[in-house]
Amino acid sequence: MTQEAMVSKRDGPATAMEAAAGFRGVWWRRLLFVPTFGLLLLLAIVPLIFSLGISLFNYSIGSKPIWVGLGNYLNMFTDPQFWLATRVTVQFTIAAVSIEVVLGILFGFVMNQRFTGMGIIRLIVFLPMMLAPLVVGLFWRFMFDQTFGIVDYLLTQIGLPAIPWLIDPFWARVAVVVVDVWQWTPFVTLLVLAGLGTVPTDLLEAATLDRASNWMKFRQIYWPYLRFPLLLALLFRSIDTLKMFDSPFILTGGGPGNYTSTLSILGYRHQIMFFNVGMAAAISWVVVIIINIVTNILVKLITPAKVGQVHTGL
Amino acid sequence: MKILKRVLGVVLALFVAAMFLFPLLWVVLASFKTKLELLAVPPVFIFQPTLQNYINAFNSDFPMQVRNSLIIAISSTVISIILGSLTAYGFSRYAIKGSDFLQFWILSLRMLPAIAVVVPFYLVFRMLGLLDTHIALILVYCLFNISFAVWVLKGFFDEIPLELEEAAMLDGYSPPQVFLRVALPLARSGLATTAVFCLIQSLNEFLLAVSLTTRVAETAPVGLSKVQTLMGVDWGLLSAASVLFMLPIVIFTIIVRNELVRGMSFGRMK
Repeated sequence: MTQEAMVSKRDGPATAMEAAAGFRGVWWRRLLFVPTFGLLLLLAIVPLIFSLGISLFNYSIGSKPIWVGLGNYLNMFTDPQFWLATRVTVQFTIAAVSIEVVLGILFGFVMNQRFTGMGIIRLIVFLPMMLAPLVVGLFWRFMFDQTFGIVDYLLTQIGLPAIPWLIDPFWARVAVVVVDVWQWTPFVTLLVLAGLGTVPTDLLEAATLDRASNWMKFRQIYWPYLRFPLLLALLFRSIDTLKMFDSPFILTGGGPGNYTSTLSILGYRHQIMFFNVGMAAAISWVVVIIINIVTNILVKLITPAKVGQVHTGL
Repeated sequence: MKILKRVLGVVLALFVAAMFLFPLLWVVLASFKTKLELLAVPPVFIFQPTLQNYINAFNSDFPMQVRNSLIIAISSTVISIILGSLTAYGFSRYAIKGSDFLQFWILSLRMLPAIAVVVPFYLVFRMLGLLDTHIALILVYCLFNISFAVWVLKGFFDEIPLELEEAAMLDGYSPPQVFLRVALPLARSGLATTAVFCLIQSLNEFLLAVSLTTRVAETAPVGLSKVQTLMGVDWGLLSAASVLFMLPIVIFTIIVRNELVRGMSFGRMK
């Protein structure tokens, strides 16, 4: 750490603080940063490096680790289960996030009206994203049940065929996406609403006077204020779906036939069920790298959009 | 025409709310049903409510799991708020070398997938004999809570006018005194908001909890995940336990409803 090298950011208090610095001042600044970064290094960097090391060994808990170099990675890349898990993870991410963004924008406009009771409606809509994904998955599993589930009952009531949710490879994946959309569309809606709140009212009034079409209004007036919140929503949602674990784990356990098994679930299985720690570490590193690539692309997109909106560098 | 549009808007809003509310209502309803009513085809909407599921939940491992969840979540939150407020204040008031880099690094911890740290933590805690203890999860949750707290609290500290701290300096307060007696009290609503979000995140976490605990320190989501028993799935007990577990989260959400944007977007949007 480089506390000694600190310079005053602003005039006034910082210079006054510099003046009061001395021996106690140095200790004070160390106290501000050293414990936090010490703990974070210990909890983040050390495990990550350790895990990179483990991924180079054939190591099952209870046996002696054997150096295999890139062997785990080679095995992984020739394992059809790995490619299936990668495909499933990407499918979930693309399907869930795109539906969430479209519905999130629509619901954002619906929630942007003003009338009595809107406070309660908003609270209800924002509730799902605050709940534990595991609990959400649990009660959706109850609702998706083949025999007594409410979802199939309602479908047949409106004349549609019952769907083998959670049993059929295709519909099980749809179910996971449905649950994610139910829980996380509110998050996109929340950010869209925040963006809509920054649109200047005089712009809207002018557009109404000019009888601008709805599409023109959206494109010309709302969009500039929605771009940043939407990119932010896209960033958070993509990352969270790429590491998705809880809801497919509880809904289907990764089945049927691993068709809802995400990369996180595959890694967990190697670790906890097969005790194949080296392989689990290798898979988890793939998740880290994919998320890093996606994050970097999205952050590049965000950076020009946020100029003048948020001052801290992402 | 204008009235028609207005009514349509209200109806749409109610429809959206109903879509999000229905699954929650259904699980609340299920928690008051008997075994027969739970598995009835077609599903029953009107029935004589029973408290049996709640009694069963209280007589199961569930209260112990909730206790574990609370111990872990509260401890991790307290540590994270203390360390997070110090560092957030530091970033807000002092320019340090590499400040942007360090802040970005903290933000990137939000992107870190839990699965990436599961393997090393499992091995280390196994070696230290800390598997299935509260300490293990408290420490691991600090990783996510501290990084969250630093970012969100920095936003709150940035909003405090510097003049107040300058005045305190002139009165002879030392920098630590300014922090403790001026900045912290002014940021108390921000501290409360951040703490509530840390609590919610810790209570809801599952992957690390299921990997690092087996029985003694099992948290509520881990307990709920073990749905398959020899007797099949006891949906009544699970619904009752889910409702009990969601209740505090609903109350927390009501408390922080005005700061949801900040809390959910890591303080990137206000």
